[in-house]
Amino acid sequence: MNISIYIFPVLILLLMLFAAFKKVKLYDSFALGAKGAFPLAVRIFPYLVTIFVLTELFEVSGFSDFLSAFISPLLKLCGIPVELSKLMLIKPFSGSGSLALLSELYSKYGADSYIARCGSVIYGSSETIFYVAAVYFAKIEDKKLLAPIIISLVASFIYSAFGCFLCLLI
Amino acid sequence: MTSGIILLIINPESLFSAMISGGEKATLLSAKLIAIYAVSMGLVKIMENSGIMKKLSKILMPLNKKLFLSDDETTNGYISTNLSANILGLGGIATPMGIKSVEALYKRPNSFYSTSMFFVINATSLQLFPISVIALRSTYGSSTPSDILMPCILCTLMSTLLGCMLVNIFIKRKDL
Repeated sequence: MNISIYIFPVLILLLMLFAAFKKVKLYDSFALGAKGAFPLAVRIFPYLVTIFVLTELFEVSGFSDFLSAFISPLLKLCGIPVELSKLMLIKPFSGSGSLALLSELYSKYGADSYIARCGSVIYGSSETIFYVAAVYFAKIEDKKLLAPIIISLVASFIYSAFGCFLCLLI
Repeated sequence: MTSGIILLIINPESLFSAMISGGEKATLLSAKLIAIYAVSMGLVKIMENSGIMKKLSKILMPLNKKLFLSDDETTNGYISTNLSANILGLGGIATPMGIKSVEALYKRPNSFYSTSMFFVINATSLQLFPISVIALRSTYGSSTPSDILMPCILCTLMSTLLGCMLVNIFIKRKDL
């Protein structure tokens, strides 16, 4: 853990040194790159708002509770603890939301419990699929995303189940 | 949609406020993202100008050619940066590079296949070391916070592999 703190800063420092050695104009290059950040953030803003509003509605309406009750039998069948159903539902939409759920699980069941470990693996090995879709394709006009989203969801789901199985062994 | 209708029936006053609260969160995040993107894109520009990006794209050229059918140096530079940042868990760099990669791939032939492949690889998670999870576990008093590392790495790798295979099977591509 201690070493990992240093990796990123050291990488940045090495990059700066190497660039200076190559006689790159550090100041100008950095500013030129940074210039693109604002338009980019503006470009993805509408999609961010949409996905966040959807996530909020999904949670506040209790629809997520309803759905998680609905998918529980399926999870049970695949060997995923039913306590994780909400995490499984929220993770594809929101990273911060699912991290909050994860810490809830930790405090409720203990960070070393089987449920907490399964939840950690699911959180750590899956991605916020809908968020990635919204942001990465923000600039593309005719989005054809249905097939890739389904593929990603299926692959993530299968390996969530596999991850829970691994937690039994390790 | 369904969520909205349910909320309208159960608790009509909270519909609009819930939407606003979602918008608020997105706005706060955007403000943070501007800062993160500015710093990371500044660094990436330095990478570009110092030739590191070119080298990275050259090293990963065979992989990019096979997966994304792309032999364009700039495109591959973006893709390679995105993938390596993702593996290291540097979301701030990965996202702007991901957007640029999709844009560049989109302009090339076989774009449906290549953007789908790129998306699936990103969306099935690449981050090998889930640092935030391990940190969170240790704050909640776990005695062995990193015992989830092996299952995480295995699942991350295998889900990405499965995703690639599914894209290869289900999404058509024309041979060039």
